[in-house]
Amino acid sequence: MKKFILFFIVISCCFSFSQNKQLLYGFSDIPQSLLLNPGGKIKNDWYFGIPLLSHIHANVGITGSTIYDIFASNGIDFNTKLQNAVYSMGSNDFFSANQQLEIFSGGFSFGSSYVKNKYLSFGLYQEFDFITYFPKDLAILALEGNQNNIYRPFRANNINVAAEAISVFHLGYNKKVNDNFTFGVRGKIYSSILNVNSTNNKGRFITERGQNNFYEHIFNLDLEARTSGVASLTDDESGSNAVVKDLTKRVLLGGNLGLGFDIGITHQLNEQWSLDASLLDVGFIRHSKDVENYKIEGDYVYEGIDPIFPDTGNGQTAEDYWNEIEDDFVELFTPDTTTSKYTTWRPIKLNTSINYGFGEKQYEDCNCLKDNKSYLNSVGLQLFAMTRPKQPIAALTAYYYRRLFNNLQVKATYTIDSYSAYNIGLGMSTNLGGLNFYVMADNFLEFKNIYNAQSVSLQLGFNYIFNKNED
Amino acid sequence: MQKQIIKYSFLVIALCLSLFSCTKEIDFEQADDLEISPVIETSLIFFDEPASSFWVNNTEVISIKDSIKIGFFSNKFIVDNLIKADFVFEATNSINKGFQVSVDLLNDSEQLLHTFTLLASLSTDGSDVISNHVEEFEGDTLIALTNTSKIVFTLSLIPGETINETSLGRIKLKSKAVFYLNIDDDSI
Repeated sequence: MKKFILFFIVISCCFSFSQNKQLLYGFSDIPQSLLLNPGGKIKNDWYFGIPLLSHIHANVGITGSTIYDIFASNGIDFNTKLQNAVYSMGSNDFFSANQQLEIFSGGFSFGSSYVKNKYLSFGLYQEFDFITYFPKDLAILALEGNQNNIYRPFRANNINVAAEAISVFHLGYNKKVNDNFTFGVRGKIYSSILNVNSTNNKGRFITERGQNNFYEHIFNLDLEARTSGVASLTDDESGSNAVVKDLTKRVLLGGNLGLGFDIGITHQLNEQWSLDASLLDVGFIRHSKDVENYKIEGDYVYEGIDPIFPDTGNGQTAEDYWNEIEDDFVELFTPDTTTSKYTTWRPIKLNTSINYGFGEKQYEDCNCLKDNKSYLNSVGLQLFAMTRPKQPIAALTAYYYRRLFNNLQVKATYTIDSYSAYNIGLGMSTNLGGLNFYVMADNFLEFKNIYNAQSVSLQLGFNYIFNKNED
Repeated sequence: MQKQIIKYSFLVIALCLSLFSCTKEIDFEQADDLEISPVIETSLIFFDEPASSFWVNNTEVISIKDSIKIGFFSNKFIVDNLIKADFVFEATNSINKGFQVSVDLLNDSEQLLHTFTLLASLSTDGSDVISNHVEEFEGDTLIALTNTSKIVFTLSLIPGETINETSLGRIKLKSKAVFYLNIDDDSI
């Protein structure tokens, strides 16, 4: 069990911050930017990622309250802080975590010997994604009970949770058609390691004034949780080694499989202006192995026990009457377990940006004309959007990119998203010989009190790059 | 040049680390203080019968007795977290006859732990007469409640004018339980 926990801590908690990689997007000095736009610009001839270290990404985010709001050591009673947090949050507030770890990756350009305008890239990465919405109605019911909430419906759709761990094999093709247009596609095979989701709950519980008694308690429930890859682990009595072996197998295409693709383009409008866009993870996973689903479905109205004259005439006693009620409750709240196969869709991500380059690079040795003018600076606007179980989220970023030296590039971003309206991020990429190192993080303004941050994200990695001989 | 790059890289990393190191004081131990106090109300027993129901086989029924076995009150969650309970009754009587309902709480070995009686006063003119009763369970009586596994209800007619098939009016009873819970960190 320890090894199992460790496996997940290592896999999922290495470094974690949102799925929006606004710093990496368009940062074409870093090969992994091609994962955010398969039709992006490419600046290297070939590269390979240092195994397990080429891309480490983590993001955690919370909307509504922060950890600091609840756990600040400020003398205010914990329960007061908790209540304030519960009341201030809505059922669309959420907590999410996303983590990626590239296991290996590489890419190379090819084509005719004088214009290598095509590029193939490939790799395997592991991803963990978790989101839970704040179950506001449930929290209110637990805090207050139903006494002061007669006629208030406690809605089941407040329960909305999804978690998945997957590995992704991918192969991408990029072609620079001409100086103005580049496109790319990437095919993906997903292997689901674990999946848990309960995102389509319906119904409610409500207490109303009754006809025959003070209250009628109305249960109208349609709840479902679906899991794959979990049942065999919890059943597993063969020990932690077997579990780790099993999980490793799933990483290597042994899990529930799915298919998907990414597409992207870059369009150079003129020397200085360019537009690009990509659509990522258009795909699904079919869960057919190791599936276990739980369902609670039914309607029930309880208004009390009629003890003395139960169904006068048919001889039913209060005992029978009560047993019937108990049986009905048990039936309602005992989940039905099924093994029905199901399909999940990957969260689709859209990235697009408009960019303006300026400040031409001066060449010391010659004043010769280069085919591709390269600019030292660029500024632009990026838009990110992503599907989530309840509603899509979006982020808008303004950025400034600068090549400081031949071998050092930096990018600063300002982002407005669901988490905050003042997210500043910084990223850099540097090459020492063939070794490329990059690191980027956002929400710098909140780093002075990290617990008060609504989201934090970090990406870093090492690659070995053989660059085009353009400088 | 490379030296400069290294210098800058270190500067950026050092800056990140120094920013990271700042956190205001957080105390996760506070979760131990967690305490929530929901108040749950739930329907209990009810009935609504005409006077004629008490005239069976040409005789007046003096009392009716019935019981239920119930494990709910001795449920561990209830025992651990219930700090007070109220049983609230409201009787509406339009029969020219008074009634009383006795409620006996018994444990597994049929020992009487607690008993109480509520009265429904008679109605001389056929109008609704409302009688209320609240039975509070706190301290010893709460312990009695949480050991209860059987409840016996006895509805008795208070001596007075005799009921027959032509007697008018109805007797109604509504009731609810109010559970005051205090759930702390240990029981979650």
